[in-house]
Amino acid sequence: MKVEAIDYGDRKVYSVGAFNRGVAAWLARLPTVWVEGEVTELRRSDRWASVFFTLKDPQDGSCLGVSMARGQFDALRLELADGARVHAYGRPELFEARGEFRLRALSLERFGLGEHLAALERLKAKLAAEGLFAAERKRPLPLLPARVGLVTGNDAAAKRDVLTAVTTRFPPANVLVAETYVQGPRAAGAVVEALRALCRAGVDVIVVARGGGSFEDLLPFSDERLVRAIADCPVPVVSAVGHEQDTPLCDLAADVRASTPSVAGRLVVPDLAQLLERLERSRAGLERGTRLSLERERGNLDGTRERLARAPRLLLERRRAKLEHSAGRLRALSPKATLERGYAIVRATDRIIRAGKAVEPGERVEVELAEGGFGARVEETR
Amino acid sequence: MTFEEAQQELEAIVQRLEGGEARLDEALKLWERGEELYRFCKERLDTAEGKIEELANRAEAAKP
Repeated sequence: MKVEAIDYGDRKVYSVGAFNRGVAAWLARLPTVWVEGEVTELRRSDRWASVFFTLKDPQDGSCLGVSMARGQFDALRLELADGARVHAYGRPELFEARGEFRLRALSLERFGLGEHLAALERLKAKLAAEGLFAAERKRPLPLLPARVGLVTGNDAAAKRDVLTAVTTRFPPANVLVAETYVQGPRAAGAVVEALRALCRAGVDVIVVARGGGSFEDLLPFSDERLVRAIADCPVPVVSAVGHEQDTPLCDLAADVRASTPSVAGRLVVPDLAQLLERLERSRAGLERGTRLSLERERGNLDGTRERLARAPRLLLERRRAKLEHSAGRLRALSPKATLERGYAIVRATDRIIRAGKAVEPGERVEVELAEGGFGARVEETR
Repeated sequence: MTFEEAQQELEAIVQRLEGGEARLDEALKLWERGEELYRFCKERLDTAEGKIEELANRAEAAKP
């Protein structure tokens, strides 16, 4: 559309109508979008072609005028009360006659707790199907983090509870606190950014803490971006958001869920007193164990020495016994014992006679007895 | 090495020593290693400063 200006010398000047037409034409090029807000100041008359109401942002009170064709509005039978939350689908427009900017709604949906819950359930099912909440994804918390990251609102309670729990249990703990929005439309993005900033700064574990609040207050903690950021966080995350009965989706994606900020604080640091005691006990065991090995080894050495001292006598005794044994056997083999029993040894010149045929009649033999002997001559042989 | 790993190794060494199976030269080596691990753990505890800091980029974080 051509917008005519009047020239006053070097100054271009638009009439109000032309200006409004120009802006209206520009606005008409903007896309159609969904807008969420609470309905107030609903004005409807059978004499009007359109219904008018104001959409109010419950977070910051921003207002937006809305118009909608009456026939369409009536057909929806929404029966909207003041404060009802709706999603309006439409595009911005300028009411040229009054220079008023508003949203021209093409469609309107009530969006209450039920719809919220349904949307949440859908998101939960989708993320669960991706395995974002799976038990095998959960990482163990470090026993002794060099630095703990804490994402919290600037409301004192949750932050104070975490810090108190941490420093009571482990006084020398280092904590890096990222204060951020924890409610409202900016919260999800702000918490995601805080998580990233903490990781960049270097922490070993992160606590996301937020006190209790209404269902809607806690909604940012079920935001898909936030839930994914927690699941993808390079360090383990402990989630302590809301009360026990609230289960925002971030609780499911976190590595550990704590029922309260204090519990989260106790989970991320070890008990210093216990840790020191355990360490000192180990050290005492180290000394005791080493001394034990030393003493046992000394005992072994003493034993060896005693055996060494006993060795020569033992050897002598063994030799003596062996000697006695040999003497006994020698005695048993000696012919002397046989001669004692009445036998005699008969020799001819240089040989012992074992058979009658070994001598000739008349040959001289020597007979040896147990005591002495005599010479003899052979009478006959057989 | 993390604190946890050091602590676990230290406790395994104590167990081995107290079992009384280590020979003297091994026992002395274990003891030396154990002392080293003990000092490492102790130092980790002693050097923690107990610093509570605020991350300074709140303005950044506040961007939607």
